[in-house]
Amino acid sequence: MKRRTVKPSALALLAALLLGAAHAQETVLYKASRVEPITGPTLSPGQVLVVDGKIRAIGSRIQAPSGAQVVDLGDGTLMPGLVDAYNDAGLAGGTNEVTREITPGFQAARVIDWKDRRFREALSQGTTSLAISPGTENVVSGLSCVVKTAGRSAESRRVGESTALLISLCSDPTRRNSSRARPDSIYVRQPTNRMGVVWMLRSTFDQVRRGEEIESGEWLASALSGERPMFAVSRTMHDLSTLLTLSEEFELSPVAVGGQEAYQLADRLAAAKVPVVLERLTSHQLQGAERTELVWNLAGRLAKAGVQVSLSGGQLLEQARFAYRFGLSAEEALRAITLTPARTLRLDDRVGSLAVGRDADMLALDGDPLEFTTAIRWVMVNGKIYENQKGDSRGEYDL
Amino acid sequence: MVNTICKAGLCLSGLLGLLAPTLVAQESIAVQGGRILTMAGPAIEDGTVLIRNGKIAAVGADVKIPIDARVIDATGKVVMPGFVEAHSAAAMSRSNETNPVVPYLSVLDTIDPMRSYFEDARRNGVTTVAVVPANRTMIGGQSAVIKTAGTFIDAMILRRDAGIKVSLEPQGNSSRMGHLAALRHQLDEAKKALTETEKTKEGAEDDASEKALQVALQRLIKGEIPAILYCDGAMDVGPALKLVKDYGLKPILVLGRDCYKAADQIAEAGLPVILDANLVFWETDPRTGEDRKIVVTEAFRKAGVPFTFQVDGSNTNLGTSYLWYQAATAVKYGLPRDEALAALTIGSARILGVDRFVGSLEPGKEGDLVILTGEPLEVQTWVDTTIVRGEVVYERANDRQLQRLLDDSGQ
Repeated sequence: MKRRTVKPSALALLAALLLGAAHAQETVLYKASRVEPITGPTLSPGQVLVVDGKIRAIGSRIQAPSGAQVVDLGDGTLMPGLVDAYNDAGLAGGTNEVTREITPGFQAARVIDWKDRRFREALSQGTTSLAISPGTENVVSGLSCVVKTAGRSAESRRVGESTALLISLCSDPTRRNSSRARPDSIYVRQPTNRMGVVWMLRSTFDQVRRGEEIESGEWLASALSGERPMFAVSRTMHDLSTLLTLSEEFELSPVAVGGQEAYQLADRLAAAKVPVVLERLTSHQLQGAERTELVWNLAGRLAKAGVQVSLSGGQLLEQARFAYRFGLSAEEALRAITLTPARTLRLDDRVGSLAVGRDADMLALDGDPLEFTTAIRWVMVNGKIYENQKGDSRGEYDL
Repeated sequence: MVNTICKAGLCLSGLLGLLAPTLVAQESIAVQGGRILTMAGPAIEDGTVLIRNGKIAAVGADVKIPIDARVIDATGKVVMPGFVEAHSAAAMSRSNETNPVVPYLSVLDTIDPMRSYFEDARRNGVTTVAVVPANRTMIGGQSAVIKTAGTFIDAMILRRDAGIKVSLEPQGNSSRMGHLAALRHQLDEAKKALTETEKTKEGAEDDASEKALQVALQRLIKGEIPAILYCDGAMDVGPALKLVKDYGLKPILVLGRDCYKAADQIAEAGLPVILDANLVFWETDPRTGEDRKIVVTEAFRKAGVPFTFQVDGSNTNLGTSYLWYQAATAVKYGLPRDEALAALTIGSARILGVDRFVGSLEPGKEGDLVILTGEPLEVQTWVDTTIVRGEVVYERANDRQLQRLLDDSGQ
């Protein structure tokens, strides 16, 4: 892989100036032979100055301020902690509501199991921020929230409280709605086919737009107005096509989640500026209940058409490696697990890149991030280093 | 990629057009100009591998290429032995038998050479595979080591009696006590029958199927055919080793992921193992709730146990369905690269007892090799060409399925 490198910037000077007042705080300068800021070209070598859990400076000739600790990673690589925009780690007590179809007020943020092992697994795989999302079996399923995968306390781990509204445009909401139950049972609910899913969405949107009262309608209203991201689970070509139609009709700017067949309308998605958060890539069978077509270079084709593409659903680094192997450019592969998902969640002012003022969430790797054989040395969240991938713990795991 | 087809060879096949099919099999192939990882000594830069009559005739830096050889240019590429997959049921049309004691069955009767498994295998560099019944039959059928190319199974066989699968994992309602007792009972019966047969010099049983069963089990306890012992958990390893000792079995150990806890015990027994497809997993302490990441390859490497990989039973995760990816994962966690490559080739060949035929590029061995576009295990390295018994059975340039998966332009 070839990347441009930058000559020393003025940041070094700036850092030195800024640091006058920072002595009493915890100040660490991390040096590596390669630093991937994502927002700019590769720095080699590069340094990242971390003060109290935030990135204070980044460049290729930053000197350690007096009193600062210096950590030299030698031939290692530093990159931002990974951001998973669609996951259900930590979502305790079930992900789907079976008695109602429209539940915009249901908040993942209220039920987080902070000790869920999946957080720790994600952390060990390099993920530092993760959007916990409700399930796909409701037409409007609720609100995701974004948390760090490790931290000193629950409060320090929260990044976004009611980040995105999740809706389903796939056939998942019909999954359990057969007429098995007695007609007067609470388990009888619409829709039982995909037409019903779309109808229900459209009529709910209409109600909200007309200002009619619906339960927790304010959340829907904020997603319809674009104030809050709307994540629409849509996998097949017709799901995505419906999504585009609805966005035009209601002037939405949604995010497509799933996107297994998005390559079929890559140009339309790009033109409509609809970002795609791909569900976990797979390489050997038709996907899921909807038997979506299999295209290995899904991410590559979307990126090529100009779609903002994120990888999600765990194992982000491995997914990026395979996406790169299958045709996504190296640069895009790294963006798809860092900056793009952060932007899609509208949290790029805090996470997803190594830039001044961002949270100090970083990965230290043994070599090229996109090689299968490269191990993660450690993962940092909010300036604190957690265990490395080889299993010997560095720093305890707080929560 | 094929760059040159020797003119003489062309003329010859033109003249003897009708005999062409026979000529193809006997054709000489010279793979020239690549970096050769022989797995039997240091790498050879800019070397040549000459295959004649399906066997490796010469390997080296200055091999004389016969005039009739088809020359494949591997300049800038890496040439290594075809991978040997040590344990797979993917080629079988059904991987488990319902009847618990079937040592007389052979996987050869159920292998479907048209299964997509074989195409994937060739695309991923696997040239030899041990087809072994899955883990759910107490005494499963006889395994066979076969080539991954061919249309008729009889022509694909490398070793017919590669082992009888014995599973220590109880099935259904049976307990471990009952399962082990039943297993021992079968072996005891075979032992008894064997002694009687030796006394009377004739079969003890008249029933044909009973006789087939006894013959198979007797071969097992005479060590004529290996016992491929599946241990689900660490607690199965002890009893498995005891079976080996008590009945004189010739063992090949296939381990579930939790068996890493028995790594030292296995090291003491001096046995190599075939690892579970899940090389990395998490455990939670049932009392403290503490989570721990287990890297299976490191546990065995530190204990000094030689191992190889499998992909059977891997879930739909990306990667774990490729043998080379398993090796890359082991390297990521600390296994030296050359040991990982050896595990894919000569290491698994040794475990299967077929290292005289496959697993390294040495004269006399089968003409199996892969030409890689770059260094093995790297993210942008692909199998360029796969050769099995001297025949090109895969070329990336002609892999239309791959082209479609990677860049579906035909919409």
